[in-house]
Amino acid sequence: MPRLRSLCRGLALGAGAVLALAGPALAQKSVTIVREVDSNNYDPHKSTARAASEALFMLADTLVSLDYDMATIRPGLATSWAVSDDKKTYTFKLRDDVTFCDGKKMTADDVVYSFKRWLDPATRSPVRWRAGPVDDIVAVDPTTVEYRLKAPFSEMLYQLTQSFAVVVDKSDVEKLGPDFGVKGLNGTGPFCWVDWKPRNEMRMKKNAAYRWGPPIYDNKGPAQVDEIVWKIAPEDNTRLAAIMTGQSQITQYVPYSGMAPIRANRTVKLVESKEAFWTYFIGFKIDKEGVNDPEVRKAMVMAVDQAAIAKNLFFGEVNPAYSYISQDALDWNRKVDAELIRTNVAEANRILDAAGWARGADGFRTKDGRKLSPLLYSFTGSTWQKLSEAVQGDLRKIGVDMRVQLFDATAAWGKMATQEFDAFGMSYPYISAGDALNLYFRSANIPTPNRMNFKEAKVDRLLDAGMTATTDADRAAAYGEVLEDVHRQALWIPLYHEPMKIAVSAKLAPIKAHNNYGCGLYKGLDIRYVQ
Amino acid sequence: MTRYILSRLLSAIPVLFGVLLFGFLLLKLTPGDPATVVGGPMATPEVIEAIRREMGLDKPVVWQFLVYVGRVLQGDLGYSLISNTRVLDELSEAFGPTVELMLACLVWSIPLGIGLGTLAAAYRGTLVDRLVIAISVVGVSMPIFFVGLLLVQYVGYYWNLLPFLGRGGPVWTGQGLAHIVLPAVALGVFFIGPVARMTRAACLETFGQDHVRTARAKGVRETRVVLRHVLANAMIPIVTLVGLQIGFLLGGAIVTETIFSWPGVGRLAVGAILSSDLPLAQGAILMLAIGFILTNLAVDLLYAVLDPRLAR
Repeated sequence: MPRLRSLCRGLALGAGAVLALAGPALAQKSVTIVREVDSNNYDPHKSTARAASEALFMLADTLVSLDYDMATIRPGLATSWAVSDDKKTYTFKLRDDVTFCDGKKMTADDVVYSFKRWLDPATRSPVRWRAGPVDDIVAVDPTTVEYRLKAPFSEMLYQLTQSFAVVVDKSDVEKLGPDFGVKGLNGTGPFCWVDWKPRNEMRMKKNAAYRWGPPIYDNKGPAQVDEIVWKIAPEDNTRLAAIMTGQSQITQYVPYSGMAPIRANRTVKLVESKEAFWTYFIGFKIDKEGVNDPEVRKAMVMAVDQAAIAKNLFFGEVNPAYSYISQDALDWNRKVDAELIRTNVAEANRILDAAGWARGADGFRTKDGRKLSPLLYSFTGSTWQKLSEAVQGDLRKIGVDMRVQLFDATAAWGKMATQEFDAFGMSYPYISAGDALNLYFRSANIPTPNRMNFKEAKVDRLLDAGMTATTDADRAAAYGEVLEDVHRQALWIPLYHEPMKIAVSAKLAPIKAHNNYGCGLYKGLDIRYVQ
Repeated sequence: MTRYILSRLLSAIPVLFGVLLFGFLLLKLTPGDPATVVGGPMATPEVIEAIRREMGLDKPVVWQFLVYVGRVLQGDLGYSLISNTRVLDELSEAFGPTVELMLACLVWSIPLGIGLGTLAAAYRGTLVDRLVIAISVVGVSMPIFFVGLLLVQYVGYYWNLLPFLGRGGPVWTGQGLAHIVLPAVALGVFFIGPVARMTRAACLETFGQDHVRTARAKGVRETRVVLRHVLANAMIPIVTLVGLQIGFLLGGAIVTETIFSWPGVGRLAVGAILSSDLPLAQGAILMLAIGFILTNLAVDLLYAVLDPRLAR
């Protein structure tokens, strides 16, 4: 018995020692942010992943910044800018107090180099088009950059707020070669690159010299925490438990099932923005049999119960979508509001009956011996699995037998560049109507990202008109007309708009959620401990 | 003994070749496209095709395999498509945490399994025996991911006792020790059952043997009889089982590392496969297979130590 007692005592002491050693999980000025997936790399011109933009906004800066309203352009590295009368030349006046993380002064040459690298075909940037129809970019003097276009580009300033347009250091890019954005990145942002362990974590430390934060922040710099650690936790429950136990201080990747416990937990706050600039949808390949009939597409859109999807699959945490972009987005056409297709199963059935699609003995519709059985391609993972099952179920109510094939993200993009499918499911971030419409509805973008094979001369003309508009009103009018046209043709089934929701430890001061490219923390200048 | 070791090492060569071939073909059959990884999601089909040519993916599979084997023989596992670092460097960085996790799991689960099994054998047919069998059944029946999630939910979240997010540093530091406890427990629960049951069966068999009866007749204390005469002679089947189970443990480590965000080879392999990082995935599979082969080799050598007749 005495032996047993001493053994128990030993075990208790051991456990106590482990717990004591565990101590506070983090240094006071270090913030751990958990997220679900990592980026493939952090080269601003090569990665389109949201995970890359999240870090790049903190590691580097853009000439202009975006306000929380996702519409107002604010200064960034440029204190001011002037646009020529023909809207083809933008002259940016740069701050002269900006330095890179290594202490080197940033000049107009760095800005020119960054943009030219973005445009260089050798860079193979998938987002080259976002830089606009560039004629030339020149450094007029160390603090002045002239951005000359071949034609006006009304989206210009908005595109320059994106992480693809951050200023990089030429010598750093040349020194690191293919390791640029992998082993390092010398930026001018509020945080500096420390190291990146792919699929595990990225560390960044405070840039002590930083004083040039965007005006939307009260704190223009330096950052108020010493270190940020981005940790990858693929498991939903692990992320949720990590934020609720203080092992992580911030995450915007909260599983929807975890929103209620977070709201009920006093140690965590949920920061929400009313804007939702990330939309989930199913697009139709409109030259494929069956879905080439606008009436069939309209009936399918009508059959889907977006409100039920939002409520039942996502616990009411997302906004049911009837429009292809958020109705709060810049240049949204209010006239389209009344024309949006709403859920109406009876009407959907009537439309299909009228179009000659008759129900067979199995409940599915056929016409001229062909079954209405479109094939959907989308992504593996719980979100699209749930969504495709829900849509499949809704479509069965009107006699449509939607077949579903889901692929891993790395394979899905390749599969969706083919002509094998009738419909595809995906989601996308955007800043404005023009940003979304030019990407998906331009005929020049067939077969990808215009996976619908949508080709309409009028729409192309309007998109050109919107892109080259010289006034806000002209741009809004052109894009507004495109919005009317594409919604009328029922090219997509909008599913939901995803609002930004960030779980933040109560030990941190309140932050305001941004929506730029779905990066809720944006520059991270408001992250600070209060406890 | 040297000849025995050499023969075991030589027999591992065809196995390794099989692993190389199997790993290569398996990843060829998965739907991921490495060219898409390099090109990014917005790359046009023309760009993807150009990348495919650049990477030699347009060449016949046999040619690709031969090139791969040639490179592996020179110790070159290629570069990760994601991080652009040498696969060997990434693997060696992840190898330490996986070994650390496995050792942390074995260090408590094997003694506990053997202890419980011996106890059950010594008290055969009693409540203790039934309790040990029940514990074994529960341990074997619960999938690792379930145990892992339970630990995260209760020990990590509700009771907030121990960290569960990633590795806290080397295991000899406070943070490192605290971070390894839950993953090691999750992995070890699966180990206790089979070890306890095998120990119990082996001990029961040995209990009836002449040398044990003789020892008892000579008046040797029961504890010494169990430890020195029963357990020592029951070790060969236990070691065999432990060796086999370590192989399964490598599989279990993949799940455990994912749940606890542990930066080991298992998680690296999963991430590489999911992101179509072909060179890294192939390297990780190769490393896990080598780990399995080496474990089996070590078990074979241990037999020779435990029973020198086997090495003759």
